[in-house]
Amino acid sequence: MISIFVLLLISVVAIALVVSSGTETAMAGNYRSATGVYYAALSGLEEARGRLLVKNPDAFNTTDPKNFLPAPGIDLKMGDTYYLINPVGGEPITPWDSASTYADNQFVVEFPGSVPTNPSPTAVSVWNRNPLQALKVPGALYKWVRINAVSEKSMKIDADADGKFDSIAPLHYDGVRFSNDPLAGPQVLELTSFAILPNGSQKLVQYLVAPTPVQLPPFQAALTLAGKNSGGSATVGYSAPASNANFWVQGDDHGCDGTAVAGSKFWAIGTFNSTDTDAVINGSIINGVKYTGIPTSVQKNYTGTPTPPSVNTVYSSFLSTGMQTPAGLDAALQPIIQNADVVITPSPSSTAPYLGTATGADLTPLGMNSGNLLTVVVNGNLDISNWSNDGYGLLLVTGTFTYDPDTNWYGIILVIGQGAVNNVEHKQYKQINGAMLVAKTRDSNNQVLPGPDLADSSGVAASVEFDDKMQGYGIRYSSCWVQRAQPTSSYKILSFHEIAQ
Amino acid sequence: MTRVITTIRQEGFTLIELLVSLGIFLVITGAAFTLLGSSQQHYQVETQVLSSFQEARLGLDQIVRDVNDAGYPPPSFNGGDPTLFAISPFAWSAGAGYFGAPCQIGTAGGGTCTTAAGDTAPGDFDLIIETNPNPQDPSCPPLPCPVQWIRYQLQVPPQVQVPTLMRGMTQKTPGAEPDAATSGVLVPFVQNVVNNPAQPIFSYTCDTGNIRLPCTDPGANNAPANIRDVIVTLIVAAPLPDPRTGQPRLVQLTGRGRRINPNQ
Repeated sequence: MISIFVLLLISVVAIALVVSSGTETAMAGNYRSATGVYYAALSGLEEARGRLLVKNPDAFNTTDPKNFLPAPGIDLKMGDTYYLINPVGGEPITPWDSASTYADNQFVVEFPGSVPTNPSPTAVSVWNRNPLQALKVPGALYKWVRINAVSEKSMKIDADADGKFDSIAPLHYDGVRFSNDPLAGPQVLELTSFAILPNGSQKLVQYLVAPTPVQLPPFQAALTLAGKNSGGSATVGYSAPASNANFWVQGDDHGCDGTAVAGSKFWAIGTFNSTDTDAVINGSIINGVKYTGIPTSVQKNYTGTPTPPSVNTVYSSFLSTGMQTPAGLDAALQPIIQNADVVITPSPSSTAPYLGTATGADLTPLGMNSGNLLTVVVNGNLDISNWSNDGYGLLLVTGTFTYDPDTNWYGIILVIGQGAVNNVEHKQYKQINGAMLVAKTRDSNNQVLPGPDLADSSGVAASVEFDDKMQGYGIRYSSCWVQRAQPTSSYKILSFHEIAQ
Repeated sequence: MTRVITTIRQEGFTLIELLVSLGIFLVITGAAFTLLGSSQQHYQVETQVLSSFQEARLGLDQIVRDVNDAGYPPPSFNGGDPTLFAISPFAWSAGAGYFGAPCQIGTAGGGTCTTAAGDTAPGDFDLIIETNPNPQDPSCPPLPCPVQWIRYQLQVPPQVQVPTLMRGMTQKTPGAEPDAATSGVLVPFVQNVVNNPAQPIFSYTCDTGNIRLPCTDPGANNAPANIRDVIVTLIVAAPLPDPRTGQPRLVQLTGRGRRINPNQ
């Protein structure tokens, strides 16, 4: 009896100790789980954010299905949902199905009365793709990441301070604030990540992200010819294809579909001073080279603000960016080059300015189309004579750009460096849609000009010299294409928060 | 007829046997009860340590979560109404310049982020977070939920009975002073917090260019808006001391909250 009594006492003590240590272990485990699931969810957000950027490895538009998301520059529609899923062992993950194991119940909280697209487009995690899949390493434990557009109503914010919560217009980010205006800047995307551990710990975290645009020169005109900052003699040259009544330079804004944007007008041609404005209209002789300007017969084709010929100074818009000098503008090119999709450096010439020449054949393999806008840098001259393809995106040419109206270009053309545009071939009727900037920042030895003017010591600045008979429809300003061609350096986190569950 | 008389011997315990057995029984039960008493005492203390551990763990989790969310939503959400966005992820007192003039975070009670009570926030034992912990809170439609000030402050006797980490949350209102607005709403959060100046509850790293450095050096980077990490150390004592040593039983937990929201 005594033995039993003693045994009982010892058992009580032992049980107490076991319970005590068990509880302690469980609590330490809880903390480990909470931390683990937080980082698992965060890893989902980071994967999605990284894969949004076109130039990153495993970017959504380079992995199957390549049409998972709309093409760059195309907004996601309100209510559409896209899921990055991360199944383990082939488990089904269908978050749009409210009866499924990992249902997305958060969507209806933000969009009352709506449900996720059923079925939604999906892309699989890098952990379910080779080479990581073949490594058999357990990956991140998030289950899905939802990518969608947001509105004032879903975010419960009044971005335009009109006292209403708009549920229709997707929010955009102008670099400082949210806006309902699609032209204010890139679209704001919401990323929501759900993670759950085998022990049941779960977490929902959310980012708002927007592409960080590379800063570009301002486009206040369909064609900008940068020159001397002020006064003195003319520095820019422009020769219009005067015999082509169909050649227009239109500062009137057009959408991506070619329709005019009501009330949105820019200049047809922008210059840096009134002397150059006069030179563009009436012609000039720069360092012995004669430019015809815009003959009276075709001046009506240079439309925009306010009346034809729409030519005026846009210098002040450059002044605020610091890109009004050779060094400033040259420095602004570096982020473009660093974030370019393609950099073409043709074999250099043996004579100054030692630039080689690329041709349209170098552009063909890039496969540019309206769903694949690229940032293409040609470190040298580019001659697209007889290249009958179309180009999409941002084109930067540091040497001479030889245009051919056999090509449509949709986006931005920067001819900055030698700052010269001409043509050899002149047949066909195609058009440049977007905006074009020509500026001279480098001398005949391809060294950066000392400045402060965008002109060399001989007074030569940007020039566009089309032959009298060149065909083509000219240049048409399109803020839509300008925005779509805007290169992106990263997707910036605009906000983060953990969703209470 | 012969009658046979038989005698049956009845055996029993002698007095000595009884005394010996009683003595053994008393010794064993005495030892057992002593063990039981000691175990009970031990169990009681362990329970309290466990309870302190649990309280500290919950407290740490909440602080880390609040810090992770600090600065939500940023001004890009709504630049017009300051109650609907966080001007800075971490607030400071109006007397120290909130919100136009950033104060300097110091250590060991230093810095210029002085509160009305004389400590510093952000400081070693005081922190005011500006965030919206639940923007989808169904209790606040149709208007957006306003941003909250969430304050953690260590209070010591005689202000409170035992050293206690207080927590309070109040809505951000236009023109209000974060220090004063949160001072009246503090409630006990974690009790018996025995951190000392050598072991502060909160320590910070600040964004300094592209790297993070401890917020110790005076300078423009050393401001509440630049705090990136808050390292939280909670040292909590069990209410009863260890029965064997007489020393307080301590639980020490360390965690880190990292603000992900962008600089304001």
